[in-house]
Amino acid sequence: MKIGAIALNTFKEAIRDRILYLLFFFAAVCIIFSRILALLTVGDRVKIIKDVGLASLSLFGALMAILMGVGLVFKEIDKRTIHTLLVKPIHRYQFLLGKYFGLVLTLLVMLLGMSIIFLAVIFAHTFKLEWQLLVAILFIFFELCLVTSVALLFSCFSTPILSSLFSLSFYLIGHFSWGLETLIKKVKPGLGKTLAQLLYHFVPDLENFNFKMEVVQKLPIPPKIFLFSTLYGIFYTVFVLTLALLVFRKRDFI
Amino acid sequence: MAVRKKSGHGKDFSPIFLAFFLILSCGVFMALKVETDGIIRKKIPGSSIIYIPSGKYLKFATFGYSSLLADIIYVWAIQYYSDYNIPERFEYLDHIFSIISELDLHYLDPYDTGALIAAYEAQDLDLALKLLDKGLEKNPDQWFFPYTGGHYAQMIKKDQKLAQEYYKKAMEVKGAPDILRRLYADSLYKAMDYQSALQAWLEIYQTTTDERVKKIASNHLYRAKATIDIQNIKEAIEKFKQRFGRNPMDLSQLVKAGFLGSLPKDLDGKEYVYVPQTGEVEAPTIWWKR
Amino acid sequence: MAAVLKVEDLHKSFKLGFIPKIKKILKGISFSVEEGEIYGYLGPNGAGKTTTIKCILGLVHPERGKIEVFGLHHLSLQAKEKIGYLPENPYFYDYLTASEFLNFCGQLFLMEKKKKEERVKELLQLVGLENASDLQLRKFSRGMLQRVGLAQALLSSPSLVILDEPLGGLDPLGRKELRDIILRLKKEGRTVFLSSHILQDIEMVCDRVAILVNGEVISQGALHQLVSEKIHFTEVILSGIDTEELKGLAESSSAKGERTLLKILSEENLEKILELVHSKKGKIHSLVPRTETLEDIFVEIVKQR
Repeated sequence: MKIGAIALNTFKEAIRDRILYLLFFFAAVCIIFSRILALLTVGDRVKIIKDVGLASLSLFGALMAILMGVGLVFKEIDKRTIHTLLVKPIHRYQFLLGKYFGLVLTLLVMLLGMSIIFLAVIFAHTFKLEWQLLVAILFIFFELCLVTSVALLFSCFSTPILSSLFSLSFYLIGHFSWGLETLIKKVKPGLGKTLAQLLYHFVPDLENFNFKMEVVQKLPIPPKIFLFSTLYGIFYTVFVLTLALLVFRKRDFI
Repeated sequence: MAVRKKSGHGKDFSPIFLAFFLILSCGVFMALKVETDGIIRKKIPGSSIIYIPSGKYLKFATFGYSSLLADIIYVWAIQYYSDYNIPERFEYLDHIFSIISELDLHYLDPYDTGALIAAYEAQDLDLALKLLDKGLEKNPDQWFFPYTGGHYAQMIKKDQKLAQEYYKKAMEVKGAPDILRRLYADSLYKAMDYQSALQAWLEIYQTTTDERVKKIASNHLYRAKATIDIQNIKEAIEKFKQRFGRNPMDLSQLVKAGFLGSLPKDLDGKEYVYVPQTGEVEAPTIWWKR
Repeated sequence: MAAVLKVEDLHKSFKLGFIPKIKKILKGISFSVEEGEIYGYLGPNGAGKTTTIKCILGLVHPERGKIEVFGLHHLSLQAKEKIGYLPENPYFYDYLTASEFLNFCGQLFLMEKKKKEERVKELLQLVGLENASDLQLRKFSRGMLQRVGLAQALLSSPSLVILDEPLGGLDPLGRKELRDIILRLKKEGRTVFLSSHILQDIEMVCDRVAILVNGEVISQGALHQLVSEKIHFTEVILSGIDTEELKGLAESSSAKGERTLLKILSEENLEKILELVHSKKGKIHSLVPRTETLEDIFVEIVKQR
């Protein structure tokens, strides 16, 4: 399968990117450091490790997704390796999807690596494995898949620095969309409010993938949300990739 | 993709198809968002803030944007405390407002608002006063904090001594308005420290240039003196009663019997009114009607 | 013979700069390449040669014009399967080895695994890289990258091979080898489309050429028709004749030691000099008739613009 071949090729290239290992190193440091930090709190020590660990996975994972996604496509265009590929008998969408899945695969590997360190530290502390942590990590992965698609979209038409900034903004906005909801409540009903509400529903809600708190505090999670969040992630990603394809098709590679 | 695509045109999906697909997926995810919004997830509001050990550490992490962060947390705190659906919201009142003050020592509103919430909503006067104390400590030119502290002590705790301490502190702040001195003097009176009250009012009377204030001070002096005098007289009456088993006929008897050195007169020089049947002593004039 | 590549009225502009200024690169290009020939595409830098090639390959979208490859739409997958492309400064994935890269390309043609591996070995041998097949591409020199580029262009046994400035940066041996390969491709029945500005090599291999200046094809046709066989002048190196006697016969002369170099314009004068040498027992060291070269035409045409 052509998409598969391109994906594997992308994976091989991405996995050699030094930035990934730098971020991985920082994540590992954070997780191990939290172990030390846990000694300073009074009471439930594991909570700090879990919180720091999940936050590191999420944050460094997002940075990896953005920097890798943006960097890779830019490098292909800049170094002109993309020329050799696009003249082969492949559709442009096959190229784009291949790139996307290659990036997702790389991210999966990196996330697994970080998760192993994280779970090992937790295990060393509590001598048990909590499956809920895996759920939280799984949804972090879904979130990162969406962020990767956004990084890919922006790097189809923008410079790497701008693309990184836009992608980072997407990530931040996605986590603060509830702020928009709070603001809208205080607006008088009318055209402005309707437009704002429309905007609110369009803006990404990355909190849908955020189960970190529930998992750490051992709160009950309604199972419906797993299904809906996953579907949300899938359809938003499809939306972004379609947009990317629309942009990519028309692009000239001089 | 195992079969080679045989498209005569050779282009990928047509733009119309892609645009349609785009709108469709957009519609679906927006609908899903409505769904996920509807699902209620148990939240511990402000849990992330509760979790931070101390504002001191947070300050280092914010790379110099600590005052912005203080603003943000403060605004959030106001929304949080306005939400009456969170019964446990006062548990971290101290913690949250400490963080805000540690992030931005000179942000004045949070001290005041925090104290207000503590005093009236959480019914925790000690916390309110603690916040106000910190406010003054970090901002020694803000007389408003101890003034508010005195106010709360007086109104809510009804602890006049405490109020008096606060008013004194407020009064001593450079640039504090004169009324604070009067509040202080008044609180001394209310704390039943009549001598000090007398002193304080005397000082105000002597140092003020405002006619209206002079009048007020003199009225208060009158009252203070009257109270002291009446107290003394009453003490003497008691002693008289003990000795002679009855109330004196008039106050001069107390002097004759040696229980009073001299017969005190009110500030205007008038004599006190004595009712022998009941033993009540009163000032001839109502102090605030002079 | 069917046209392998047909380009009709191709137009392309680019928007340059922040405040978009439109620069027209291709102003209505038309040409066609027949089956089995080696077609040269010439032009000075900036004429639009690479842009034309990119339009043909689908890397750039032309505003107007029609391009057909083997009678098919140029962007169709079937057409692309028959094309092999060697870009100007080839650059490939750093971390892959030569054989890994070629195998990857083969996957994009959906070549069957065994056949693909055989073909990769075959090509590496053809371009002389069989010893470097397991070396990472980032360690390759420019010449080696060029060879890998050629190998990937030929991977699917394409009927049309497009080479963009393939001879630049090659040493004389490399150029000869490449010329040989091109001629061999022709013998195999393939069509070669070659863009270059190294005119000597074009002259040596091409059947037909098109000359592109400023986005317009100003001249095209068979090489021997464009370049007349008229002899411009003859260069003669001789010795043993007095310069006095040669005066008036030659356009210019210069002497070095015993030998004299003469530039003779007319045939008549040439005959006279030959007689002179014969009678005076002098010696002719070399006699080179200079015809018009492609370079001469090229320079003239470009100057006119």
